[in-house]
Amino acid sequence: MLPPMAIFFPLFTLLEDFGYLPRVAFNLDSMFKKAGAHGKQALTMCVGFGCNAAGVVATRIIDSPRERLIAIITNNFSLCNGRWPTQILIASIFIGAVAPAHLGGLVSAAAVVGIALLGIVMMFVSSWILSRTVLRGEATSFSLELPPYRPPRILQTLYTSMIDRTLIVLWRAVVFAIPAGAVIWLISNVDVGGISLASHFVDWLNPFGLLLGLNGVILLAYIVAIPANEIVIPTILMLTVLVTPDLVGAGEGAGVMFEADSVVRTAELLEAGGWTLLTAVNLMLFSLLHNPCSTTIYTIYKETRSAKWTTVATMMPVAMGLTVCFLVTQVWRLLG
Amino acid sequence: MVDPALALLVFTVLVVGTAAVVWPRRGVLARLVEYTRLTERVRLEDAVKHVYMAELAGGVCTLESLAGRLGISTHKASVLLTRLTDLGLVQIGETGPVLSEDGRESALRTVRTHRLWERYLADRTGVPAVDWHDEAEHMEHNLTADEAEVLAARLGHPNWDPHGDPIPTAEGHMPDLQHLSLTGAPAGRTVEITHLEDEPREIYDRLLTMGLALGGRLEILARDDRGLRVRAAGEEFQIEAVGASNVSVRVLPVGERAGGAVETLADLQPGEAGSVVGLSSACRGPQRRRLLDLGVVPGTVISAEMSSATGDPMAYLIRGALIAFRREQAGWVTIERVAESVEVAS
Repeated sequence: MLPPMAIFFPLFTLLEDFGYLPRVAFNLDSMFKKAGAHGKQALTMCVGFGCNAAGVVATRIIDSPRERLIAIITNNFSLCNGRWPTQILIASIFIGAVAPAHLGGLVSAAAVVGIALLGIVMMFVSSWILSRTVLRGEATSFSLELPPYRPPRILQTLYTSMIDRTLIVLWRAVVFAIPAGAVIWLISNVDVGGISLASHFVDWLNPFGLLLGLNGVILLAYIVAIPANEIVIPTILMLTVLVTPDLVGAGEGAGVMFEADSVVRTAELLEAGGWTLLTAVNLMLFSLLHNPCSTTIYTIYKETRSAKWTTVATMMPVAMGLTVCFLVTQVWRLLG
Repeated sequence: MVDPALALLVFTVLVVGTAAVVWPRRGVLARLVEYTRLTERVRLEDAVKHVYMAELAGGVCTLESLAGRLGISTHKASVLLTRLTDLGLVQIGETGPVLSEDGRESALRTVRTHRLWERYLADRTGVPAVDWHDEAEHMEHNLTADEAEVLAARLGHPNWDPHGDPIPTAEGHMPDLQHLSLTGAPAGRTVEITHLEDEPREIYDRLLTMGLALGGRLEILARDDRGLRVRAAGEEFQIEAVGASNVSVRVLPVGERAGGAVETLADLQPGEAGSVVGLSSACRGPQRRRLLDLGVVPGTVISAEMSSATGDPMAYLIRGALIAFRREQAGWVTIERVAESVEVAS
């Protein structure tokens, strides 16, 4: 998480300091206006591609209450840094494999870009719906100041972007990641009736997971990995090894997340866990459309001071993700 | 594995079912809320208000009109009226029910809360104009007298609601106003709109779409049984009789005109400039405050500087700052063109 963020945020902050970003908002505003949103949402979405928590903080630049709430609630549709690696890994293993070998890289890259674009489409659609339903009565006022271009103050900008964005986000991630590690270790090592808690949960979730074209392991991984999207794939690998009898001895032991030595090894593990192309497609969709990580949820609460909007921002993407995965799976099975 | 066709069928049923429950205004949930809202107190307050409104309009409230207003049967309306007499709020006179002193006080309190809440919605929220009345209908029963006074203080003790109706004072004084309906306005004269009736919702919505607003001027060109032909802001249009009867006006002295086409900021091309004449009354609440904060006040010279990729929004130079407005916002600011040579200190 740290390296992309340490590159992305300073560069973006430099553009901001230069006076260029308001011009982006100015030119894109007509698109956002149709969705009932503010042109500056283009910028907070961009920050969201770095980190959704930082994107939610960035919505402070939107001074109209309704449009700001829209930007906060829909920021999660920006594929954040914690989810890009998941998308790239799964696309290279499963999507790329469908295409001829020399096109594999191109096809999987296109799939990842497609998911990111789908996120943008979903952002526009949900902004449109929100501004016409639950947020209809919120106060709104548009104005956009276009400050003159200025030479950026490079060192100062680098410093503030490190402190304001990267470090604050990292610190919050640490606070939430430690309890998550503990929970993952506990459910894998506490045994009830001879098998671990994790296996029980996976068994319960499996029928539901299969209905969605996913499986119990993935759903459990998304529940325990709420603190950070980065640990979804390691958790899936660990749980897959834990519950698949053929894989005993692989990995680092119960409750220890690991990343396989190579993409090939990861592919072997996942296929042994019963993954198909459909599972991969649904995982990519669900990775885009699911609840924000706990850091982001906490940030949303701090920014809105409202349990109601925090709940909407958390539950809306999950509901959309479950629906989309369900529909894709059923149609796929109907046609396949 | 679950049969996909069956799964999709169950899903569709679930979606339709959920929609039927949560659909705004028509769904089961909305109706249930509406039903539980109508407690006896709410019905009594509504009935007293109806009797008061009927008296104010110079007519008499009948069982049928009460039943129609509250959406109940005539039998229930008569029970309600008996209850009102028992409580001493209403006396049955020769021509029909008449409010007692207590009844008048109660009615004025409800009306005051209703109109204060409409004022609040208009000034402080983004709730669209057509929804003000319905929301105020709910709130008038939910605020206590003390809460209503706190609200009035926050709003700066307004005298008028956003439709042009007077707000009764806390002491229960209601100014006596003679409204002239637009249907009775003489042809050939210019009138100023003093009141727009907000019920029924559909007609109010139509009047708003025509661009009618409080304080707006209309020149009556011709009138017949079907309606009026009027001119406003350089545009001629027809108002049907049913709509016109919901508009009250004040006839202006002979010689006053509705004025020709008005120019707004939205008419300026990049490089052109104008001096602010006023802000449309459609610009309200936080939007209005924002424009005033930015210095969009009469006399300010504003020049259009550049247009965005799609032409909307446009960037305007206001008192040395470059500010972008969307087309409809720019349309609220009426201007007089000035030569570009007028330089603004920056």
